Amino acid sequence: MTSLQLLTEPSSLCSSNFIPFNPLYKTLIKPTTKPYPKPSPIRSVLQYNRKPELAGDTPRVVVITSGKGGVGKTTTTANVGLSLARLGFSVVAIDADVGLRNLDLLLGLENRVNYTVVEVLNGDCRLDQALVRDKRWSNFELLCISKPRSKLPLGFGGKALVWLVDALKDRQEGCPDFILIDCPAGIDAGFITAITPANEAVLVTTPDITALRDADRVTGLLECDGIRDIKMIVNRVRTDLIRGEDMMSVLDVQEMLGLSLLGVIPEDSEVIRSTNRGFPLVLNKPPTLAGLAFEQAAWRLVEQDSMKAVMVEEEPKKRGFFSFFGG
Amino acid sequence: MASFWTLQLHPTSIPHQVSTYAFEVRPQLGFTKRYRILKGKNKRKDFFLKASSNEDNQIKDETIISKTKSNAMWVLQNQVSRLQETIVSLPPIIFSIKRSPHSKFALGFCIAATVLIVAVRAYVARKPKYQRQGSVADLVRRGQLNSDRRGISKTPMYDDPFNNPLVKISKNNSSVEMCGKVYRLAPVTLTREEQNIHQKRRSRAYQWKRPTIFLKEGDPVPADVDPDTVRWIPANHPFATTISDITEDLAQNNVYQKHGVPFRIQAEHEALQKKLEALQGDQKFNNLVIDPGTARNFERPFNSNIKIDDQQQQGEHNSANGQTGLRPESQPNSASEEKQTQ
Repeated sequence: MTSLQLLTEPSSLCSSNFIPFNPLYKTLIKPTTKPYPKPSPIRSVLQYNRKPELAGDTPRVVVITSGKGGVGKTTTTANVGLSLARLGFSVVAIDADVGLRNLDLLLGLENRVNYTVVEVLNGDCRLDQALVRDKRWSNFELLCISKPRSKLPLGFGGKALVWLVDALKDRQEGCPDFILIDCPAGIDAGFITAITPANEAVLVTTPDITALRDADRVTGLLECDGIRDIKMIVNRVRTDLIRGEDMMSVLDVQEMLGLSLLGVIPEDSEVIRSTNRGFPLVLNKPPTLAGLAFEQAAWRLVEQDSMKAVMVEEEPKKRGFFSFFGG
Repeated sequence: MASFWTLQLHPTSIPHQVSTYAFEVRPQLGFTKRYRILKGKNKRKDFFLKASSNEDNQIKDETIISKTKSNAMWVLQNQVSRLQETIVSLPPIIFSIKRSPHSKFALGFCIAATVLIVAVRAYVARKPKYQRQGSVADLVRRGQLNSDRRGISKTPMYDDPFNNPLVKISKNNSSVEMCGKVYRLAPVTLTREEQNIHQKRRSRAYQWKRPTIFLKEGDPVPADVDPDTVRWIPANHPFATTISDITEDLAQNNVYQKHGVPFRIQAEHEALQKKLEALQGDQKFNNLVIDPGTARNFERPFNSNIKIDDQQQQGEHNSANGQTGLRPESQPNSASEEKQTQ
C-alpha cells in the first residue's frame, strides 16, 4: 500500500488569486485564465509496509454524499469500507438510501439482508440481528435502513440514526472504528436523515459542471449543519480527456469547490464488472487502477490526510533496451 | 501437398525456357508425373505442370529450345499476349491431380487437420468470453438474472494491502507508475485561506437549517416550532412516511436492546397468551371447536403433519410453563447466512 505525502510546506504552493464561484463562467474561461502557479517540484514519499494510524475519536461517523445521483457514492462506500476493513479496522456501513438501496448488491450481500433498521425500530428484531457480517472480511458489517417496498417512518427524523450510532458504540464486540453512511442522492428527507449523526463527510463528485453545482450546494448544506470536516473524491477522471481540455482537471475541480482532496479515482471499466459481480474493486487480484485509488483514499481517510499531489496526465512509458524482447 | 513444391514460371525472354503453357516443377524433387491445369471451359489454354527426372528433362529441354529458336519472334509475341489473357481472365483453377492413393490420403489428412485447427481455435477464442467474471453471461451463470441463484465461485482476493508493488514513484517524484501506466504528478495548490474563502461564500449563498420535524402536507405547524425547521413530506411519498405506530421512546428502547426477545415478538406472544388464558378462564376452551379444514389453511407447511390434538397439548404445556419464544421466522441475518452456506 502506498500513500503520497508532500514534504514541502503548503504555504509555498499558495495561490492567492480567487475567482468567485460560477461553474459555467469558470468552465468557459478556464483555458485562458488558469491561475496555476509555476509548477514546483513535488517531493513525495511512498510508505510501504506500514499500517495507517487512526486519527480522531472512534467511531468516526462518515457520511458519503454527493447531491447528484450516479456519481459513485455507493461504489465509493463499498470500496472504501472494504479497504478500511482490509487495513484492519472494524467498519459498519449503513445504506441510508431509503427505498433505492444498492450497497448490498455491490457487496454481494443482497441475499443475506433479512432485517433492516425499520424492523429494529418496530421491535421485530434486535440491532445485532439486522447487521450483516461480510464473510470475506469479518470486521465489515452492513446495515440497511429499509427494504425496497417499505417506508421509513420519519416521525423521529434523523434521531433513529443517532440511536443506532449510540447502540453500536455500546456493543459487546466493541465500538466500530468507522461508521460509513451511504447517503441518497438529492437533498430530500433521506439526505437529512443520513447526515444527522455524521461528524465528517466525503463528497463524491465527477469533473462535470452538473455534479459540481450539486456538490457545491450539498457542501453548503453540510457546513450549515455543522459538519466542517469535508473532503472530496473526484470520480471517473479521464486523463486523456483532460489532456485534450475536454474535461476539467482535478485541480480545476478543487479550485471551484475549495475542498481538500481525499482521492482521485480514474475511469475504469472494471467498475461495472465488479458491480455486476458483487465483488468490490479493492479485492481484485491483480488490483485495478480504480481499486488502488480507492485503497489510497481509504488510507488518507484513516489518517485524516489529504492529497498533496495529483495525477494529471498519462505519460508514455519509457521502455528499456531489452523491452523488444519483453523485458 | 502443393505447398511443398516450388512452382516456377519461366519468363519468355530467356530463350531456352519452356512455353507459357508449362510449369516446371523443381527436378531435384524427382517427380516424374505430369499435371494438367484446367482453366475453366477453354481447353486451348491448358497449362501443363511438368516434373521430371534429370535425364528426361534434358532431352525435352533440347527439343523445346530448338523449336523456340526457329519461331523466336512469333512465339515472343504470342506468349506475351496469351500470358496477358491468362492473367486478365483469372478463371477458377481446379487441380485435377492424377496421383497415387497415398497423396490422396495425405491431402485428406491435411484438410482434416486444418478443419480441426480452425475448430479448436474458435473454441479457445470463445471460451474466455463466456467465462469472464462480471459479464452478463457470468451473471446468468451465477443466477443473478434468474430467480434461481446458484453459489458464487470463489474469487481470488488481493490480500496484502501493505505491500503493493504496482505503485512506483519516479526518482525525482514527478511521476507515478500505477498498473503499468505512468502519470505525471502536479502539486495541489489549494491553501487554507482559499478553503476559508469558499466556506464564507457558501455560508452566504446557502442559508439552511436542518429540519427537525417532519410533517405531512396539511398538518398544522406546532406553535413552538421554527417554520424553517419543518420538512414537509408529501402524503404519497414513495419511501418516507410521517406515520409511525410506535412512540419515540419505544423505538429508542428497541434500538438499544441487546438481548432477549424483540419487543413486538414478545408483545404478540403475550397477547396470544392472554387470550388463551381468558378462554380458559371462561371455560370456553373445552368447548372450543376447531374446524380441521379451516385450521389447515393457517398451518405452516412443516407443521402440516402434526395433528390438532398435539397442538392443543403443546399449547397447554406452554401456558403452564409460561415460556415465551421467538417466532420461527425471526431468524437473524447471521442465521440465514448459515442456511445459505449449507
